[in-house]
Amino acid sequence: MAWLEGSALGHAMRTSGVWTYGLVNLTHILGVGSLFGAVLVLDLRMLGAWRSVPLAAITRPTVPVAAAGFLVAAASGVCLIATNATEYVGNPFLLVKFPAIAVGLANVVVLTRSAAWKVRDVRELTSPEQRQLAAAGAVSLLSWLTAMTAGRLIGYW
Amino acid sequence: MRFRFSLWMVAPALALAALPALAHHGWGGNATEEFEIVGTVEQGVSLAGAHATMKIRAEGQVWDITLAPGARTERAGLKDGVIPVGAQVTIHGHRNRDAKRYEIKTERVTWNGRTFNVYPDRK
Repeated sequence: MAWLEGSALGHAMRTSGVWTYGLVNLTHILGVGSLFGAVLVLDLRMLGAWRSVPLAAITRPTVPVAAAGFLVAAASGVCLIATNATEYVGNPFLLVKFPAIAVGLANVVVLTRSAAWKVRDVRELTSPEQRQLAAAGAVSLLSWLTAMTAGRLIGYW
Repeated sequence: MRFRFSLWMVAPALALAALPALAHHGWGGNATEEFEIVGTVEQGVSLAGAHATMKIRAEGQVWDITLAPGARTERAGLKDGVIPVGAQVTIHGHRNRDAKRYEIKTERVTWNGRTFNVYPDRK
């Protein structure tokens, strides 16, 4: 944390004007909003909502929006932390947020490697395959909700 | 029916996620009583981050002085380097509710006859 705060990034965040932090914070919210909005729609579909809409038709817009949202959120998040990194040492919400993000990302890896995911635009999924996707949707929703809740609470500690 | 089932499953989670937004932003973690203390500047004003900050030494403790957001603190005339380290200042605001935490959410800082009122609309 001391290293991050002392980095060129931390220095730039602290010396580039009083509006910088607020604008980077806005970028973080836009990233998180895009990520969660897309993930919410996709997860609800995998949990069984909107069955009349083919899964592939939902994944096409939601996956790239979620991925872009994650990258924007991660990049802006590093800037926010670097500003006063040492202040967050001992903040319990940080210790909830980052493992939750790790679970969310691990879930993405497991999901995208599954057979059910790979054949989603080739054929109808079997019941066990649908249940597998529903489980992935539930894990995803829980992990991102936890990450967002803990993230929002960091500033209240 | 399956659709309804899944929506009901996530509704409580969504409601929980909305809770932090209801938590008070700003003054909720601080005592309602006005608080004033005199000390010497240990670390000068920094406008970086969500709120401007400084540190003072008073009553044998180092106190975290939480000021207004950077732009607002600057508008009140309180910028980096205006008050020198070691100067005697009076801090007026609200102490952290947790008596073990030496933190003051600050409304105004007085130094050398000058008052920096970062929250002029507050008492």
